[in-house]
Parts: sequence; structure tokens; C-alpha cells
Amino acid sequence: MNAAAEAERSRVAGFRTKLLAAIMLLVTILTLLALFFAQRSLAAGFEEELQRQFQGELAAIDRAQQLRRGALVERCRALVRRPRIRAAFEDDALDLLYPNAADELRDLVARPAEAVPADATRGLRARFYRFLDRKGAVIVPPAGERTVGALAPADEARLALPALGERPQIGYLAHAGAGGGPTVSEIIAMPVFSFETGEPLAALVLGFEPPEFSGQTRDGIKRGIFLAGRLHGPDLPAEAALRLAPEVDDAAEEPVRVTLGGVPHLLFAKHLNPDSGYPPAFEVGVYPLAGLAARQRRVRWQVLGAGAFVLLLGLAGSHLVSLRLARPVEQLAQDSAVDRARRAQAEAALEMTSAELQRSARFSADASHQLKTPVTVLRAGLEEMLAQPGLTPADCAALSELIHQTYRLSSLIEDLLLLSRMDAGRLKLQLGPVDLGALIAGSLDDLGALPDELGLKVEADLPPVLRVTGERRYTAMILQNLLENARKYNRPGGRIRLAARADGAWLRLAVGNNGRTIPVAAQGHIFERFHRAAIGENVPGYGLGLNLARELARLHQGELLLVRSDADWTEFEVSFPLAAPE
Amino acid sequence: MNSHLFVWLARRRRSLVAALLLALAPGAPAATVEGRVTLPKTRTAPVVNQRYEIVAKAGVLSTNPPVAVVYLEGGFPRPATPPAAEIRQKDLTFIPSLLPVQAGTRVEFPNLDDTYHNIFSFSPPKRFDLGRYRADERPVPAVLFDQPGLVTLRCDIHEHMRALVLVLATPHFVVTDATGAFRLTGLPEGRHVLKAWIDSRTTREHVVELRGGEVQRVDFP
Repeated sequence: MNAAAEAERSRVAGFRTKLLAAIMLLVTILTLLALFFAQRSLAAGFEEELQRQFQGELAAIDRAQQLRRGALVERCRALVRRPRIRAAFEDDALDLLYPNAADELRDLVARPAEAVPADATRGLRARFYRFLDRKGAVIVPPAGERTVGALAPADEARLALPALGERPQIGYLAHAGAGGGPTVSEIIAMPVFSFETGEPLAALVLGFEPPEFSGQTRDGIKRGIFLAGRLHGPDLPAEAALRLAPEVDDAAEEPVRVTLGGVPHLLFAKHLNPDSGYPPAFEVGVYPLAGLAARQRRVRWQVLGAGAFVLLLGLAGSHLVSLRLARPVEQLAQDSAVDRARRAQAEAALEMTSAELQRSARFSADASHQLKTPVTVLRAGLEEMLAQPGLTPADCAALSELIHQTYRLSSLIEDLLLLSRMDAGRLKLQLGPVDLGALIAGSLDDLGALPDELGLKVEADLPPVLRVTGERRYTAMILQNLLENARKYNRPGGRIRLAARADGAWLRLAVGNNGRTIPVAAQGHIFERFHRAAIGENVPGYGLGLNLARELARLHQGELLLVRSDADWTEFEVSFPLAAPE
Repeated sequence: MNSHLFVWLARRRRSLVAALLLALAPGAPAATVEGRVTLPKTRTAPVVNQRYEIVAKAGVLSTNPPVAVVYLEGGFPRPATPPAAEIRQKDLTFIPSLLPVQAGTRVEFPNLDDTYHNIFSFSPPKRFDLGRYRADERPVPAVLFDQPGLVTLRCDIHEHMRALVLVLATPHFVVTDATGAFRLTGLPEGRHVLKAWIDSRTTREHVVELRGGEVQRVDFP
């Protein structure tokens, strides 16, 4: 028993361990999944943020550019409306063009000698200007004209446009700067419209210092201008420029990833001069992803740390949960052990009881059988003695009484035999329709044939047809028992009343009689075997009749009840299942 | 067109000088030409006191509402003292907007506005630039127009302001009224070419035989 409990305990402990392991596994998987997705969304978020940052910066730059360009274009527009400039074209006075333009553009063009102030207006000062004729070719300024700004003839020639167009055209020109080094100028070609015809007569081309493209922003974005296959930007090494050249066209649509000096970069480009006759120029930004990767790594570690913490919490939680979950199971295991023990005891007891019952039933059956024979022999002997001649009437009476007692004895033995068969569960009724009306009529006839010293009056209140389900022999036995009791316990001049009624699927037959009533205290025991103490010893019987009748009624699926026993009236009611109508 | 005239004048100078001397001989009876120049239609109906301005359409300068200048072509001697003429600047316009003058005329440009004005010309017959000046500028800025031709005047400050000075080699010219009617008196006798300047590209001409004391009618279709 102790060993079994030990085994039970170890089984429960095993269960707890398995539960803990399962919950831990679940928690771990969930945490890892959450980590994985968090990681992925973080990475995507970084990319998105970067793109947004780019777009935002681009938009800001774009706005600034638009403003600046708008201002420049407005200034240029005002210039080309200057009557002197227009007059030079309209009145065919090209020789006066540059001298007059020098006056008109005095404020706009940086003088060669003048130190350009490094303030906000710097970008609004033109580095050079030239005029284009009606066909877009450059009108070369006279040799002495210094205000137009120095440009090498080859660079000057590149200011030409295939067509003047109606709108200002933006371009970018890489040329030798004032200091001799290469530089890029933003150029605006503004058509000069004829006052007379409204058609473009010529164009004024102004070169400005481009807005600050170079220099690192705080996010490490390096910028430059990509022009005619070359990238101009002090931050970007020349080979990087060459490397990027093929990518710029793609980058104009979407940022692309490039590897620069072994480091991944994000490259974006923006077409600076759409709808222009000048060669396309792109603003190019290169973002080193190393910083991004570092940030991403940092955040990944943070996420991992948080994940580990969560995992730890989860594991601790799962331990608690498994303990909590295991407790009822342990309880259940204990309970079931107790239950099993109890059940084993109960089963053993039941077996013993059953065996004893069997034994006792077999004993009473055997006893009944063994008793029947001597009674029969006894009666035969007594009847033989009664038939002897020369007996005194007193002897005859005594013998007759003895013979009568042998009948009672054998009847008692029959009843005991029947009861023992019922107790052993060996009595099986052959159920069928039984004509209870006929049975009652027969019983009443028998009752009438008996010597009636009491002067009893029998009443019957019966429907014409009384068919019940039962086995005729035992149904009759119930009826006889009840009628016999009703006669036996009646008083002189009393009544016996039989009344039957159908109640749903049942037939209820009430048998009532006058006579001494059953004391209330005894009413609960009258159906017990050998119970007749309260009735009085002068009444024949041995206390088996009611018990037998009730057992038989129950075998009929019916019931036998005491309805009332008071005021000189005792009434029993037996119910039988009604037979199916024919 | 104007340069043609000038060339033509230059070529014929000698013979013309003789003719002119004859024509201008004192006591010679003067001839008169009158008639009508058919002017281009304008959309706006002419109204009284309408300002005349120079309009440009397809590169052609004309006045609006249209008027014409009728003049007698020929090489006439310059006057000893330069004749004077005037183009006023008033209400941001040149008045008159079309001024025919004989070559050698000194034209004054008084500024009657409260603002600065500037007059300049890039036209080949006369290039000048008077700079910016106000109404109180003294002496009144003036320019001597010594070569025949059409001179476009502009204002440096007010880009819409235009005026035309038609410099002619002849003292005989008149501006038609808004209907195109003209009357040109004091003309010398003889065979001449009468011309009607309608716009910067259109000049019509008519050969006339003038006799002293006669009034001849010439219509330019």
C-alpha cells in the first residue's frame, strides 16, 4: 500500500514536470515568434523611416529649391523685360546688347573684382551670363566685356539650347571655376519675348552657384550633382562617382542599394531639370547604411534583452501555472486512490453479500423441498388414521385439525419456496394478458363457498372488462392473498369491497374490509416478512402473505400499497399494468 | 524702307539740290495737295481725345487709332536753323506718339509726369540715351535727328511707352486726321512723288505733277 502511494506520488510528480516542460516550450515558442516578428517589423520600420526621412529631406530641399528658383526666375523674367535688352533685339542693335546688359544686370552679376559676400544672397548672385540668339546659339560677348563672367569657349558653347521654348529652362554646367578648380553652376535660360510679336527673340542665360548640395547632413547623407555621367560633390570620391553612374537612372525612381568601398549605401537621385533642353542633371544622395545597421543592431539587442526578460518571466509564470494546474490533478490522483480502495471494499462486500444471499436462498429452497416430503407423509399417515374405524368423534376432530395443520404447513412451505426463488432472482414471470375480471369472479365464488360464520357482505364495483398484463397464476395469488386477508381480519357482519379503475396505463384494484385497523406504528412494517404481531394470535396466518403479494405485484411491474386503515376500514390497493386491448 | 529712301536721296543729291533751289525760289506760287489715305481698320471706334499710342502687331509698328503721314519726297535743303519739335511725356505716354520731322530737327522731350522718365533709342538712324530725368530737368533734354529713317523711342523705366519719330528728308509733310484726310500746302511745282507712311512696313506712293496755285486731289487707296 505504501509502495503504491509512492508510485502514485512519483507519477504525479512526473506529470507536473511534463506539464511544466510543455508550458515552457509553448512560452518559448511564442516568445521566439514574437521576437521574430518584432525583429522583422523593426527592420521594415527602419527602412520605412529611412525612406520617409529621405522623402522628407527631398521635399524640404525641393521646396527650398523651388523657392530659390522661383525667386531667380522672377528676377530673370524682370530682366528680360528690360526695354534696353528687348530693344537691342527688336531694333537689331546687338552691338549694344552686352554693354546695356552690363548696366541692367549690374545688381545681379558678381563683379570679378568684388569679393562675393558669404551670406544668403550669395546663391542669388549670378556667376556669369550670356545671351542666346533666336536659334539658341550663344551670342559671344565682345572681348573686352568682363561683366559677363569668365567662361572657357568650350563651356560657353554648352550654354546653347536646341530651341528657346516659351518657359525658362534649367540646366547644370560643369566648368572651370574662378579659382581654376572644377565647379558646377545652375543655369537658367530665360526667353526674351518680343514686345511686338510675343515670340521668343532670344534668351538670357544666367549661371548661379547651385544651392548647398555638398557637405554632410546630420544623418550622414552625402550629396552631389550627377551630370553627364559624372558625379560632382566634394564628399564623394571619384571612383564612387564612376561606380554610381549606372545606378542613378534607377535611383531616380526608387532608392537603390549600392556598395561603396565595401559598405552598403542607399542611393537616391532626383531629376533636377525635367522639361529642359539642357542635359539631365540629378541630385544624388548617398546614405551609408552602416549607421543604420548599428542602430538596428542596438535595437535588436534591446529587443532580444526584452525578449529574454519576457521569456524568463514566462518561464517563472509557467512554473507557477504548472504547479497550480498540477494541484487538482494530484488531488484527483489521491481521490481516485481512495476511491479505488473503497470500491474494492464495496465490491468485496457485495460479493460476500451476494454469496450469502445465494447461499441463504439455496438453503431456504433446499429446506422447503426437504420439508415438503415429511409433511406429505405426515398428512397421508393422519388421513390413514382418520380412516381407521372405531375412532371417537373427539379423535376424529383432533385428527382433522392435525390434517388441516399439515395443509397449512405445506402451504407455508410453498410460500417459502416461492419467496426463496424470488430472493434468488430465479422467478421469471411469463407475462401475458390476464382476465382479472374472471379471476375476481372465481375468487369471489371460492369466498362464497367457504363456511361463512361471520356473515360477510361482498360488494364489487368493477368495469365490465378487466384485462391486465401478468402471469395468471401469480396474479391470482395476489388476489387471493388480499381477499383472504379481507375475510380473515373482518368482523362479524362486516363488508368486503372490491373496486377497480383504470388510471392511465394502470389498473388500480382496491380491496377494502371492515374490522380492526392496523395500528399506525405497525403500518410501516406490515409488508415485512413474518410480521403479524400486531394482528392478534387468534387469526390464522404466518405473516408471509402481504410480503409475497407485494413481491409478486412488483414482479408484475405493479405495486401493492396500504391506502388506509382507520375507522373500521382497511383498504389495500394493487396496481397492474393494463393489457393492450385486443 | 527708310534706309532705301536715304540711299536714294544720297544718290540723287546733286540733281535734287538744283531742283530744290528752283522750287524754293521766292515768289514761286505754291501748290496744294489734298485727299484721303485709306487707313487700316481698327476694332476700337475712334473717340474724341483718344490717346494715340504705338502698337506692334506681327513686328509692324503703327499708331492706334491709325493715322498716316503724307509727305512729298525729294531732296530739300536743310534749314539754316534747326527746326524744333516736341514730344511730351505725359501720363506715361509719349504725346504725340508719331512725330514726322525733317532731318535736322531738334526734338525736345519735356517730362510732364511726376515720375522719372528715360528716352532711348537703339534704332539705326539715331541711337541715343537721354538717361533718367524728372520734370524739372533744365535744359529740356533734346535730340537732333539728322538722318532720315524711323526711330523707335522707348522709356527705360516704363516698358510699354513707345513713340515713333519719322525723320524725313523733306519739310513737306503732314499727319492725317483719324479719317485719313490730309491737306498739304506750300508745295513746290514740278513732278514729285507723294508718299503716305501708314505703318513701319507700309508706305504708299503716288506721282504728282504740281502746278502753282492749284489744288490737286490725291487719294491713297
